[in-house]
Amino acid sequence: MRWFALMMLILALLWIVPVGAQQTIRLTAWTIGPEEASRTRATNLVEAAQRLNKALEEEKAPYRVSVETSFETTNWDTHRRRILLAFQSGKAPDIVQAAHIDVAPWSDAGYIIPLDPYLDKYPSFKDVIPTLWNAVKYKGKIWGVPQDTEARPFYFNKELLGKLGWSAADIAALPRMIREGKFTWQDVLKVGKEAVDRGVVARGYGYWHRPVRGPDFYHFYYNFGGRLQDPRTGQLIFTQAAALEMFRFFDEMAAQGVTRRDLIGTPWPIWHRTITDGRVLFWSAGTWSWAEWATQYVKDRGGYEYLWPRFGFALQPASAPGRKPITLSQPMAYMVWSGSRQKDLAVRLLSFVLTPELDTKHAVGSAHLAVLKSTTKYGPYVKDRFLRQVTYMLNYTTFQPVHPRFGQYDEIFFRALSAVEAGRVRPEEAVRIVADELRATLRDQVIIE
Amino acid sequence: MRRVSSAGFFLLPASLLILFFFLLPVAATLLLSMTDLSTATFSRPSWVGMGNYLDLLRSRWTGLILKNTAQYVLLVLLFNVGMGLFLAITTSLLPDRLGDSIRAVWLVPRITPPVVYILIWQAMLSEAPYGLLSTLTGTSRNWLSGFPWHAVILANGLIGASLGMLIFTSAIHTIPPDLFYAAAIDGATTWQTIRRVVLPLLRWPIMFVTAYQTLSLLTSFEYILLLTDGGPGLYTTEVWALSAYHLAFSNYYGNARFGLGAAMAAVLVIIGIVVSVAYLRGFRFRELVQEPRVEVT
Repeated sequence: MRWFALMMLILALLWIVPVGAQQTIRLTAWTIGPEEASRTRATNLVEAAQRLNKALEEEKAPYRVSVETSFETTNWDTHRRRILLAFQSGKAPDIVQAAHIDVAPWSDAGYIIPLDPYLDKYPSFKDVIPTLWNAVKYKGKIWGVPQDTEARPFYFNKELLGKLGWSAADIAALPRMIREGKFTWQDVLKVGKEAVDRGVVARGYGYWHRPVRGPDFYHFYYNFGGRLQDPRTGQLIFTQAAALEMFRFFDEMAAQGVTRRDLIGTPWPIWHRTITDGRVLFWSAGTWSWAEWATQYVKDRGGYEYLWPRFGFALQPASAPGRKPITLSQPMAYMVWSGSRQKDLAVRLLSFVLTPELDTKHAVGSAHLAVLKSTTKYGPYVKDRFLRQVTYMLNYTTFQPVHPRFGQYDEIFFRALSAVEAGRVRPEEAVRIVADELRATLRDQVIIE
Repeated sequence: MRRVSSAGFFLLPASLLILFFFLLPVAATLLLSMTDLSTATFSRPSWVGMGNYLDLLRSRWTGLILKNTAQYVLLVLLFNVGMGLFLAITTSLLPDRLGDSIRAVWLVPRITPPVVYILIWQAMLSEAPYGLLSTLTGTSRNWLSGFPWHAVILANGLIGASLGMLIFTSAIHTIPPDLFYAAAIDGATTWQTIRRVVLPLLRWPIMFVTAYQTLSLLTSFEYILLLTDGGPGLYTTEVWALSAYHLAFSNYYGNARFGLGAAMAAVLVIIGIVVSVAYLRGFRFRELVQEPRVEVT
């Protein structure tokens, strides 16, 4: 009887105090595509947690990590609003993924933590391509872990160029011509008009830019000689002459029927469908668009196999002879919420996502570019046909400014540009409006030159 | 004394609701509107007094946004009330089953989720071969960019008309049939019956729908947001409530300006109060709620 009582006591104790029980710490992360092909921004974190758990096992740590992710597929506005409200209500996830420019307002507000103390702690951080650390640097501190980067190519429809009489050799040489500055935006205008006049494309379908607000318009602005930020003072800059030249060019493209006056406002799905159906001669998009078209829009027509013979890509042409071609990147970054109770663990998890395997998995699957030096030498990445042909564009890339009030700058810039293209405002007046508005709202934060 | 305390007891729930869901939010909005609160200054906002209001006064867009708001409220209101009245009268003239069916169809826009409803509009107004209107007219264009105001008014109006239709229909059904018999015996035509019998008896419902819809429209922006987002171009369809939303919550590049957005919201509250008082006076609300002079037993 005594033995039985003792056994029961031991069992009860085991039940109450599970000796050596492992604690699982749950981390949360909010990510965004919005394109489906970039879902690896979320799933890579889950895989990184598995790798981290192996390390914890080897260290005999009394806890393991699990990651709960969400992946936004609607749009950036929704994603940023959701994060902002979560920050303000103190219910944000441990990790958020957003664009590098978001570090300015979020760090000013104290929502995210500086990561400088961790940079020497984890070796994988040393493998990150140095320029990408600059993209997440603000007020002298590092605020995010680079997640991916990209370029924004100028695409062309090979079949339509063929109908215009271009030989296969001419078409194949176009990226080189653009790279050497021998095919400029003036040529895009000329060839686009010819395609419209000869009925190869419908009026307004010679060239298409993105149909909604976004970073792409600044590669035009840079291309026409514009500056966005003073590297010394950090102030924003509005270069009136460059903006005027750019606005005049947009107006001219629309007036000549190369682009549509009502292009802005076209829903994204229709924009992508029109392009992948082969109805547009030239257009600007992102490297990730290549994966988006293959996996969403032409999936049932053969995916990548359908794209390669029909579409080509190059740098954004120089604005005029003598100027240089260009592209623009908007690197993504993971950031750690300042209210997180697991900041150290969250950063450690991010160090585990920086492996050539996971970096490549995301880059190849979503047509983004690598963030690690080792990835650029990693077999599957090097062998990828598309990435191999677009990586050089990073040598021509530009960035948007990391400034907390750039959103206000962009608001008026984009609205004015869209009014010019729609034919509602003359380019000269639009530039005056932007300059006045920037002076009134940003005051000493902007230099009008 | 007892009468006063029992009146207070019955008024308490409504008073608490007004306090918590109107007066306190208005006070908070006014307070916020006097700060520079934004994403970047969230942890350390500064007091700017009337600075945000002065910024609104100085902005070159304030006049345009006010004009847009007036245009939006007025045109959608005319459509809502006019179409609601037209539908109520015409469907009441039809046999019940047919009239009910037509009214049920007109309720579809109201019960459709806004995002789905706007997706349907976008699909209709896109260029060929995706857009229905482009296909039907043989002119391929983005009709939404070309005619943004037409789209905004129709999309909102088709939803709003159903409310007026329901209220006016029920009001028409409460008119004693004797009046219609008497009009028929007097030889009145359908139009004369509508003009001389129905419309005068619909005065109060028309006033209610007009007042209610005006205030709703002043603060509503979700369909414009989804349809044109205030564009195309420079604030073409931007209304006051949408602008406040854009400033405070919509931030493609990060920095939401809650202080300035709150100032716009505060101005909207003042406009709403002024319009309400004007309606109460203009529509002689006291007459509506006073005790009847003749008691029928």
